[in-house]
Amino acid sequence: MGLEETLETFHSLKVRAVTPRPDSMPIVEEGTGILDVLKILRTRHHVWVVEDRETMKLTGVIRYLDVIDILLPPEAHRFRLGMTGRTMKSALGGASSAGDVAERHPLTINADATVLDALMKMKKYKIQVLAVVDDGKLVGEVSLRILIDELLRLSRVGGAQWKP
Amino acid sequence: METVTWLLFTIGIALILAKIGDSIIERFELPGVLGELIMGMILGNLVYFGLVSPHYLPIVSGQGFTTDITQISEFLAKLGIIFLLFLGALDTDIDQLKSTGVTATVSTVLGVFTPLIIAWYALMAMGYPSREAFAGGVLLTATSIGLTVRVMMDLGVLKSEVGAASLSASVMDDFLGIALVIFAVGTGSLLNLTVKIVAFFVITGVIWWYLVDYYIKFAERLHVEKGILGMALGMMFLFAALAEGWFAAAIEGAFMMGLTLSKLPEGKRMMDDVRAIGYGLLIPFFFVHTGAMLNLTVFEHRNALVLATVMSLIAVIGKIIGRGFGAWITAWGRGRSFLTTRENFWMSLQMGIGSIPRTEVALVDLMVAIQGKAIPPKDAPDFVAATLIFITVSVLITPPLLKWAFKAEIEKAKRARAEEKIRRVQETKERIKELKGR
Repeated sequence: MGLEETLETFHSLKVRAVTPRPDSMPIVEEGTGILDVLKILRTRHHVWVVEDRETMKLTGVIRYLDVIDILLPPEAHRFRLGMTGRTMKSALGGASSAGDVAERHPLTINADATVLDALMKMKKYKIQVLAVVDDGKLVGEVSLRILIDELLRLSRVGGAQWKP
Repeated sequence: METVTWLLFTIGIALILAKIGDSIIERFELPGVLGELIMGMILGNLVYFGLVSPHYLPIVSGQGFTTDITQISEFLAKLGIIFLLFLGALDTDIDQLKSTGVTATVSTVLGVFTPLIIAWYALMAMGYPSREAFAGGVLLTATSIGLTVRVMMDLGVLKSEVGAASLSASVMDDFLGIALVIFAVGTGSLLNLTVKIVAFFVITGVIWWYLVDYYIKFAERLHVEKGILGMALGMMFLFAALAEGWFAAAIEGAFMMGLTLSKLPEGKRMMDDVRAIGYGLLIPFFFVHTGAMLNLTVFEHRNALVLATVMSLIAVIGKIIGRGFGAWITAWGRGRSFLTTRENFWMSLQMGIGSIPRTEVALVDLMVAIQGKAIPPKDAPDFVAATLIFITVSVLITPPLLKWAFKAEIEKAKRARAEEKIRRVQETKERIKELKGR
């Protein structure tokens, strides 16, 4: 299979087919302490925040770059209309749990959407990871790393070779 | 063509000075907006005192300085207000608002209406017409949460019951402050105005609340550069036009569009772009433009000083009494037995003091009231002066007052930290002893 065909197959894949199982994803509950979140972020680029592990209701996401807002003292932020959301994430300012520092309303995609849909959404909103949800419940994720892995896997299976 | 050159020059100077002023004032742990206002005041008074011709610095309008070019800078400032409110609404956490408790709700309502009513009657007693006096009262309604949050964070009390309630109450304060200005600038009979207000909020707050999701999905399908941002801003301007047409308050449309978008992840994702346009250009220009409206010669007359003193007093006392009493009567949901306790008194006082600062929304309401002629041109300089003074007074007195009101909590936290240190030292000593014993 040539690269073009591989990419076509790749684009038409359902998100459901590439998403990892929730038990292998970085997920914490809202009440989880900030230090535990930071431990996960040493090796991952994001952490999903759910109401609790039983319902898996998605409430937010903490991204790698959010760590800056968490670590900065409150006075490093500007307290102005339209900017208080970031300031409230400061650990020195009182934020103590994952729920305090998570970005509410993360971007999501349906498990039945295609990889092309996911890529388009990532491009439009300049983000690298989307939550895969089913009726508000976190069932997986799709990130650029996962998509690269999947493309390389498809390439190997189909015998496609990248031309230099 | 030459006039355009000087307009561009003025915008450039205004933006550079705004950012420098913001930075200087923030170093004193005061809201940067004060720095932008001061820079505007300096620019404006270069013109008022005849040091620079208005032709070269077309940032002041009204007071005999209005030209075609100054109207453009006035319009840019108006865009700044629109973006400020749109951004403020986008940043709102609707879920947090829904979970607001009784104490925050009651104290918000009383905290808004007490200074409003006191100022309304006080200004009427001073001879201002009812509509103008009401507009003056509206200026005192909205709290600026920024400073209170910063001080409470510094004191380590933001997570306390009072801190959380203050936060919710201040967000609601802004809503009411922004909504009430409609009654000041709206014209026609009360019935007509009420019908328009209801229709506006049904369209933008109820119908649009359900349609916005579909609209954004439609925008996503356009596949054009910044298509979603452009479509969202387009709708925001349509709402602003509707609000401007119905009650001369474009901000209401921008605010409602921001609020409905804030519930969507797509809306939150566009905040960085909106911030870039807003805080990179339009909003600082609005603050400099507002500062430039303060003609220092206004203090040659007694009126401005008296108005400033009265409004400053009402701004401080009205809020402490209104919001504080509102919190006190709810007894923080702990029942009647808590009502007369010392703790209830102090918590309510802390809540009241936390609501003193005013900044952005007061300035927005001021501009809307002036542009909507609720404050007539002849009195505008006095109200500009009074507003800038009560804003300055409110942000200067709040930090020391909050420190005083929270002194017991601060002492308690200090003691806890000291005890923790002692415990750790003792643990280390014991550990050393144990290791020596081995």
